[in-house]
Amino acid sequence: MKAAIIYTSITGNTEALAEEIYQGMISKGIEVDFIPVDDLDYDMLPSYDVIAIGTYTWDNGDLPMEMEDLFTAFEEMDMKHVTTGVFGTGDSFYPYYCGAVNLFRDMLFVHTNLAVTLKVELTPQVSDSKRCEKFCDRLMGQLVTA
Amino acid sequence: MVQPDQPLTKIKLLNPTYPNKSTGLINGKSSGLLNWNDIAYPQMYDLYQTLLSNFWKAQEINMQDDIKQWDYLTEIEKDVFLRINTQLASLDSLQTPTMSHVMDYVTDSSFKAIFAVISQQEAVHNESYSYILSSLVPLREQNERFDQAKDDPIVRKRNQLILDSYDAFREKPTPQRLFELAINSINLEGIYFYAGFAFFYHLARQQKMLKTSTMISYIQRDEMQHAYFISQFIRILLTENPELNTEENIQFVYTTIDKAVQNEKEWANYILKDIDGIDLEEFHGYVEYLANKRLRQIGLDNYYEERENPMAWIHVFSDEMLNETKSDFFEQKSRTYTKVSSSNGFDEL
Repeated sequence: MKAAIIYTSITGNTEALAEEIYQGMISKGIEVDFIPVDDLDYDMLPSYDVIAIGTYTWDNGDLPMEMEDLFTAFEEMDMKHVTTGVFGTGDSFYPYYCGAVNLFRDMLFVHTNLAVTLKVELTPQVSDSKRCEKFCDRLMGQLVTA
Repeated sequence: MVQPDQPLTKIKLLNPTYPNKSTGLINGKSSGLLNWNDIAYPQMYDLYQTLLSNFWKAQEINMQDDIKQWDYLTEIEKDVFLRINTQLASLDSLQTPTMSHVMDYVTDSSFKAIFAVISQQEAVHNESYSYILSSLVPLREQNERFDQAKDDPIVRKRNQLILDSYDAFREKPTPQRLFELAINSINLEGIYFYAGFAFFYHLARQQKMLKTSTMISYIQRDEMQHAYFISQFIRILLTENPELNTEENIQFVYTTIDKAVQNEKEWANYILKDIDGIDLEEFHGYVEYLANKRLRQIGLDNYYEERENPMAWIHVFSDEMLNETKSDFFEQKSRTYTKVSSSNGFDEL
């Protein structure tokens, strides 16, 4: 099985969350590629069984600019066989809390086998590690039963 | 190596022999010329753009609805409304000159530019409080209300925490005092506004004084970007100047933010005590939740009990509420994804 975490981060919050998810997946014995989106080789995308996408939200609930190509790639390539999860960090004082997670969610639901989404307020807190674990379980669990 | 207590020198406007891209936030070598394409922290350009895209002005908001509603507010609501208005105005009055003052000592031109924009926005906020007042009460009463804010012992005590730090930097602008000023700026913009915000959004929940709360929402949106910028400023300042990144200074952050938290609770107890529908205990929890967020933004740990947002209705209005349209990636191409949720067979955590 091949898994990847593809993420972008500006303050380090989403990166911290990505690392926690990475550790969670590793501890389940899964081999995971940990890829900042700027280093992504897009041709590799369809070769993964599982992809977790991590994104912060910019401005008014928008996608960060560097995630737009990834978003388009999922729409244009055949990714139906890939199990996906999307996670992100945001600030609930804004009207579209983790808006970019929602945008990915709605698209991934159509173009992939979406298993799970996860939103965290700013830097992950202690109570978030349980949710990270669930996120990993759900991402992997889906595959076992499939 | 930076001496935390060695005064920073006021920077010359131009230093032609130095590079445009500054070698440091403070005490750096910088020509003084700004080319946004060649800056030390490129993410600052995005932040600058976001600040500018938030641009608004008070005069664009028609106060007619609020003028009509004003007469239907209770005497208590009117009193609290005016007190909070002048108290917030006095906070913004401190922030406008302080943000421009800091510019003289920060060597990175991109940061200077952002401080200039923040200072401008604080001036707009200040004006918006005047604009609201001028719509509702005569000048004589406005002045009485400002005098009331100046004389109020609780307001004075709150402001003193900030003033002491800002004045200390004015007197002797050292790196240490710049760091302390930045922490107090987080207190001012990131904590001290929220009892006031709670009151105006509470009125908005009852469909009262919505034009005022529209302005408050714009102000909150700006203040959130300011607090975010200052938190980035602090992180970069401490990273570039490890002499400032000490145990004592980390403790200073916790202690100082806790002072602001206690002041904000005290202020809320005083100003919101007669307002039905705002639970003061809940608000205390809210202030702690808020302070935890500010600490995590600076890269520190939660200081208070970890909790969910207890007053989620205190937030910036959405575009739909403000009748604005989005122009972004999703408008350019016609993407029409249906909103899905966990009922569609995946988990939302």
